[in-house]
Amino acid sequence: MSFDKLRFAIQDGDAAAAKTLTSALVDSGSVPAEILNQAMLPGMSVVGARFRDREIFLPDVLLAARAMKAAMAVLEPLLLRDRVPSAGAIVLGTVRGDLHDIGKNLVSVMLQGAGYRVVDLGSDVEPDAFIDAAVDEGASVIGMSALLTTTMTEMAAVVGRIRERELHGRVRTIVGGAAVSEAFACEIGADAYASDAMTAVDRVKAMMAANPSI
Amino acid sequence: MNSRERMDAAMRPPQQPNRVPVMCQLALGHYFLNTGLPAAEIWHDSEMFAGALLLLQRRYGFDGILVNLPGRDPDWRDAIADIEEREGRTRIRWREGPVTVVPPDDNPRVLGADGRKRRPPALADLHPQQLFYIEPHDRLGVVMLADFPDWQFDTLSRVRALAPDVSVHGEIFSPFSQLIELLGPAQAMLALADDPRKVKACLERLVEGAATLGAELIRAGADAVLISSAYAGAGFISRGHYEEFVLPFESRVIEKIKADAPSAIVYTHTCGAIGDRFDLMEATGTNGVDTLDPPPLGTVDLADARRRLSKHVFIKGNIDPVNTALRGTPEDCHREALERIAIAGPRGYILSTACSVSPHTPPDNVEAIARAATESPCAV
Repeated sequence: MSFDKLRFAIQDGDAAAAKTLTSALVDSGSVPAEILNQAMLPGMSVVGARFRDREIFLPDVLLAARAMKAAMAVLEPLLLRDRVPSAGAIVLGTVRGDLHDIGKNLVSVMLQGAGYRVVDLGSDVEPDAFIDAAVDEGASVIGMSALLTTTMTEMAAVVGRIRERELHGRVRTIVGGAAVSEAFACEIGADAYASDAMTAVDRVKAMMAANPSI
Repeated sequence: MNSRERMDAAMRPPQQPNRVPVMCQLALGHYFLNTGLPAAEIWHDSEMFAGALLLLQRRYGFDGILVNLPGRDPDWRDAIADIEEREGRTRIRWREGPVTVVPPDDNPRVLGADGRKRRPPALADLHPQQLFYIEPHDRLGVVMLADFPDWQFDTLSRVRALAPDVSVHGEIFSPFSQLIELLGPAQAMLALADDPRKVKACLERLVEGAATLGAELIRAGADAVLISSAYAGAGFISRGHYEEFVLPFESRVIEKIKADAPSAIVYTHTCGAIGDRFDLMEATGTNGVDTLDPPPLGTVDLADARRRLSKHVFIKGNIDPVNTALRGTPEDCHREALERIAIAGPRGYILSTACSVSPHTPPDNVEAIARAATESPCAV
């Protein structure tokens, strides 16, 4: 059976088809890692690129994420059984004082769609909670989101705490959010900035390549 | 011309004001930080909020005031179970159970009695006939209203009485925004695909509340009504979604308000990337388009917007609220304001930041923007 049908089911956001097709691929003897790498991840990559280029929109991305999740529910136990490693772990959250999570969730979807294990701490996350999670999970990248101009300064607090805890260079940071800019990221000493979810994936890939784990 | 007349002329192009008026929407946190009034009182007390609105309108010389909170129950203090100050925040526990945390510089948030974020209802459990209006800024957070209490209009009436020469605007939430506030963005966005019929049935009901509130605001003395439609840009939905889930419902809200008050001004506030949908926004029958975020925050080139929108639609905004107003100098703000006036004035333009003036924006920067309006070459 071709991987294309599963890839298209994910791109089209058809969760039922994605689940059925994944089961069928498994039953027909396809290797779980190949299903992931040749159908599911490329499918989500297309979704991310089309969202970045405004060819599709938030509802379409959420549908695709749901389809991906349905397929992963079939595949995940098999990937664990086969000890297939993830592309790496990343800790993600919206900073202290900020409850907005649309952007952060979108980045989470895209990172998972690129094969990363995302430790999503949710919103209103204390600076040390980001760092504790990175240490506990062996994640070399912390991603921070903030919508508000009043909370984006919290990103600097996290960067500061990483230095104070002498983890600078081992734990890297990437920031994003409506009011955040490249200049702001530089100003606070963040390692990277992403203006959209797909750029976040590209930047995380680059950071992970240089520093895959803590 | 006084401020009210100037704004009225600007909102009714091709009428020409004697100069481009200036009116920025200020984030609530900006009032908290710059009025010297207690944040919790500004948020919860009609009289205190009216005082804060007037204080900064006068300081900045704005031609208009947006009353962007509902009036409050005058007996709100009786609902307090206890109140404490912790780490610079005020925590109010209400007799009903929920807790409001008021930061010194941003919108308060209402948490459940367990201290957790509210869990939105599931679309499946929602009956459209239950819906009338969703108020996102109620004392107890996001609530479903079946009617509007008398005190809903207290702040606006007070501002109207105390500032008779200033343009006073009320705010309503678009049906689409209301639904998203109720369900949460992810659930609501998925619902557009999963159950569009039910979504539309809900939106249809929410038209009633929005239109009723809009008409009541006009009766209470508002010179204009702003429809807050924050989720209708291309950062969230396609043009197709807009045509299906926003346009018909905002059109009906505007139609109904104008059926009640034919000369009422109703305009639309949508954030972010709206450069691809001016035609659709205009098709709602709106009198004006507000915010017009420039890149990188949005996609709007002001000259392009002016060309593409009809001459009878006014525009408001376009000064970058983050990179210029918040992070720039007074000189940057002044220069950018003059540029905007040169591009979009003298008719049908209100000088403003795109989106709100953020809490920590230096007052000197806001004053520099306002000064540009009085010095502009358009001034007669």
